[in-house]
This record gives sequence, C-alpha cells and structure tokens, in this order.
Amino acid sequence: MAMKKKRYALVIDSRKCINCKACVVACKAENNVPIGNFRNRINEERKGEYPKLSINFEPEQCHHCADPSCVRVCPTGASWQRKDGIVLVNYDECIGCRYCMVACPYDARYFNEAEGVVDKCTLCRHRVDKGDIPACVETCPSKVRVFGDLEDTTSRVHELLSTRRYRVKEPQTGNGPQLYYLL
Amino acid sequence: MFTLRNFSGFFSDTLRLVTKGGRLYYAWVGFLLLLIAIGAGAYIGQLKDGLIVTKMRDQVSWGFYIGNFTFLVGVAAAAIMLVIPAYIYDWEPIKEITILGEMLAISALVMCLGFVMVDIGRPDRFWHIIPLVGRLNWPQSMLAWDVIVLNLYLLLNWFVVTYLLFCAYTERHYVKKLVLPLVLLSIPMAVSIHTVTAYLYNGLAARPFWNSAILAPRFLASAFCSGPAILLILLQVLRKTTRLSIKDEAIFKVAELMAYTMGFNLFLTAAEAFKELYSGTEHMVYFQYLLFGLKGHTTLVPYAWASILCGLAAFILFLVPRTRTNWVTLNIGCVLIYASVYIEKGMGLIIPGLTPDVLGDIYVYRPSFTEIAVAAGIFAIGFLVFTLMLKAAVPMMLGEFTITKGRTSAEAPPQQI
Repeated sequence: MAMKKKRYALVIDSRKCINCKACVVACKAENNVPIGNFRNRINEERKGEYPKLSINFEPEQCHHCADPSCVRVCPTGASWQRKDGIVLVNYDECIGCRYCMVACPYDARYFNEAEGVVDKCTLCRHRVDKGDIPACVETCPSKVRVFGDLEDTTSRVHELLSTRRYRVKEPQTGNGPQLYYLL
Repeated sequence: MFTLRNFSGFFSDTLRLVTKGGRLYYAWVGFLLLLIAIGAGAYIGQLKDGLIVTKMRDQVSWGFYIGNFTFLVGVAAAAIMLVIPAYIYDWEPIKEITILGEMLAISALVMCLGFVMVDIGRPDRFWHIIPLVGRLNWPQSMLAWDVIVLNLYLLLNWFVVTYLLFCAYTERHYVKKLVLPLVLLSIPMAVSIHTVTAYLYNGLAARPFWNSAILAPRFLASAFCSGPAILLILLQVLRKTTRLSIKDEAIFKVAELMAYTMGFNLFLTAAEAFKELYSGTEHMVYFQYLLFGLKGHTTLVPYAWASILCGLAAFILFLVPRTRTNWVTLNIGCVLIYASVYIEKGMGLIIPGLTPDVLGDIYVYRPSFTEIAVAAGIFAIGFLVFTLMLKAAVPMMLGEFTITKGRTSAEAPPQQI
C-alpha cells in the first residue's frame, strides 16, 4: 500500500451526547489511566430554570492541534507530534516540568503522579496504527464521535466537514484544534 | 604554573576564610544549615511521594516554587542596576560595590536553579535540560532559552567575581581589557534573563493574564527595584560589620534610581489594569480574581492590594529626598519594595495566570507545608552561598587578606613570584 499523507481528526456531534460517560470509562480501561486522572471528559452546560431549562453535554479531549503550543514549549522535545497529527508524550524524555499543561488551552493534559511525567490522550495510536478506531469512538452508544482521516476525501469526517457547519474551540489561540464540533 | 599554584592557594585560603569566623557568623551559618536540613527533609518526602505532597494540581500546575523562581530571576537581573551607572557613567562610588551585586546575582541564580529542580516531576532527568548534555528543544521552547541564558549569566558572573577576587588576592591589578567587556556584556545578559523569563509566560496564548505585550517591561521594572532593595540593606550591614567603606551618596543614588523604576513599574501595572478592566473583555476574569475576587473566592485580594499599596508607599518614600536620605524611612522603603515585588512577581503572577482554569473553574491554591519547607531550604542555600562568598570576598577586596597578608605568623606565606 502506498504511504499517503494522513491527518487524523475527530468530528463531534455533541447534540447526540447523553452524558453516559462510556467514552470516559472506555478510555480509562483501554489506556490504563491512573485513578483520579482522565484523558477525556464531558463538559456540562446547564441553563435556565424549570420548566424552561436545558442541559448540553460536550465531550472533550486532546484536540491534536495543527500547531500545538504544548509541543512548541516543551524544553526537551518530549512532547511531539506525529506526521498524521497525533500529539504524544515521550515518557522517557519528559522531565515533568508541566510547561505543556500550562500552555494547553484545553486542559487536555494531566500529571501522572506515579511516574512524575505528563500524560495525555494518544488518540489510541496502538489501535489506530492497526487500522482500528479509538476506544472512545468505538464505545459511544449514540455515535457522537466520528474518527477519520481528513486527507482521505472519501472519509466520513471529510464528508461531514464539507457538508455541515461546525465550530472549533478557542481558535484565537492559534493552535488549530482538530476536534470539530458540529452545529 | 605560578598562576596555577596561586590559584590553589587562593582556593585553600578561601576555604580557610569561610570556615573561621566569630560567634555570630557561626550562629548565622548554623541557622542556615538548620533551614537547609529542614528543606532537605521535606524534599526527600516529596521525592518519595511525588508532587502530590504539594498543593499543585492539574488546574494550577505551577505554584510557589515557580513563583519564587520568577522573583529570584529578577533579583539576579538587578545586579546590573549597579553596574550600569558604575561603568556607563563612570560613577566611582558605585563601582566598588558592583562586585557585591554580582555575588548577589550568583546566589539568586543558585536559588533559581534550585527552584526549577524541586518543581520538576522527574529530577533524575534534570540532565535532559543541561545545554550540550541533554537534548534541548531550542530555539522553540522558551524554557530551553531560559535554561541557556540563566546558566550563561551564572557562568559570566562567577567568572568575573572569581577573577576580580583572584587579582585582589595575588595583589595584581585586574586586566581592564578582559573585565570591562565582560562587565558590559553582563548588562544585556541581565536584561535578557529577565526578558526570556517573561517570554516564558508571555508566549502562551492559552493564558490571557500573561499574554500581554508589557509583561517583559513590567518584569524588568519590578526587578530593578527589588534587587537593589536587598542590596541597600546589605550594604548597611556590611558597613557596620566590616571595614568596607560604602559612601552614603552611593546608597542614596541607588535609592533614587529605585524610585524611578518603582514609579515606572506602578505606571505599567496601572496601564495593564486599565486596559483589562476598562475594556472588560472575557480576559478580565483573571484580573478580577486577583484584585476583587471571583465567585466568592478572595484568597489573593489582600495580597494584591498589599503589593500595590506597599509599592506606592515605597515609591513616595524614595522619591522625596528627605525620606530617601533618612535611614529609617530608607530601610522601611526597602522592605516595602521587597514585599511588594515578592507578591507581584511571585504568587500574584503565577496564580491568576492559572485561575480560573481554562474550563472556568477555580481551584484555590495554597502552598503546602512541604512547599514552604523546601522553599525555605532553597532560600537558606542561597543565603549560605552569599554569606560564604562575602566572608571570603570582603577581606580580599579590602586588601586585608592577600597572598602575603592576613595570615598568622605560624602559617608561612607562599613563595613570592
């Protein structure tokens, strides 16, 4: 198979989210995330009072930005980005200075107390590299998350972003986030 | 060869000087060693249990350690406050005390590097950020820049101080062609260490509180009043306890310069506060948290106002010639400036930068006992370094202790060259 340029992204239809937190649990189980830490979360937004009220759920995790500030600030190069866009931490290089956590506009990283290093969502690279999809995407019962390659014009993410309106979070930080929220 | 032999004599005599002293000297060093022991004990606990023993969490991932680091970089930079008038304007009364400023810079840098060391989660990997040894993410990372300039500045000051003292010890005049360029180089170096430290915060679009163009000028302005504040008190102590003669006019001149920098610092702070509060964008929340409190959390409010009021009071004390030249008000002013800048460039900078966090939540950070004990230990290390350097340097600077003088008759002086 010819090596083609890839750019992984997640498209999120947050209106479908029912806050079951299956994605959070699946991620913890899949990646052996320490107790007390999470690599993804569901933000809640409550509005109004009974009977006029609403609640919105919005899943969030690392945005695997196009120009990630966490990678830029890392003093040792432990924070790095693959060619396909996945932002990772090389745990053996990390000195635990937490500059990347301060630089991240999305609070996507956490400090792994036991290891003394910073940790984060890997977009389940071990699954993605086998052609699988990330655990949070696979487990979602209401199909909120769509994972795919933006460079592949036949992919579902490409189709969604071409045909639907969407927004990204904190675009003013210049990070170029790759978590697309459908409107 | 002679130089080498003299240098080993210089080294052993320095050791002899710092190990012999009066009762007060031993008491002071003993007190510092006790603090260091307490700090070391707390740090061992932190090494064993991890950073969880601090109150830093994912929301506020930098705290007391990095706050002290930032403040002390300013103190280190402030050595040039004395070098500039001495060498640019050739103002003699200050010239003799610039070496004290350089020694203060060395001590402050030792503390800075100490605070970085205790803050990192994997201190066993600190060599990753040593220039040439590790693999620094340079020029991209501002932290990599900071490590480089801080180490260069430390090296520069260490060399100049050692060289000047060695010349004094061997009773030779220093080579002006060597010292002058190095001292002049230390001026842009001092500006650069604090600028780079400001950029460390400044470059983060994710943290609007720091993402302001006047952050670096504010850093420099506050540093140039806090560093000399420490020196002014120190100079008075040295005048009393040693035969080092420091003219009154030198002290008053430095105080006058401090008035200007403090005034400028207050102006910059006001400019920043006006921009944030008057335009009232969503970035205002950080200033609000600092100055007025947010959602019922007012932890920082008394500190923030204390900092502003102390700065203002000190500015007036140092601006008016009568209070500037009165020892009581001068020393009160120094303490006020120290307090003001310590709050402003320490916790007053770090905490509102991270609170509220990017999700809008407030995690109230207060340093734990471990953090305070470790910080006390590092400050004690810095003071110890400074004390030992002064103990050896002052008699050499005064010409009381050289290769031929200052020994008891039992100790034979080394061979003359």
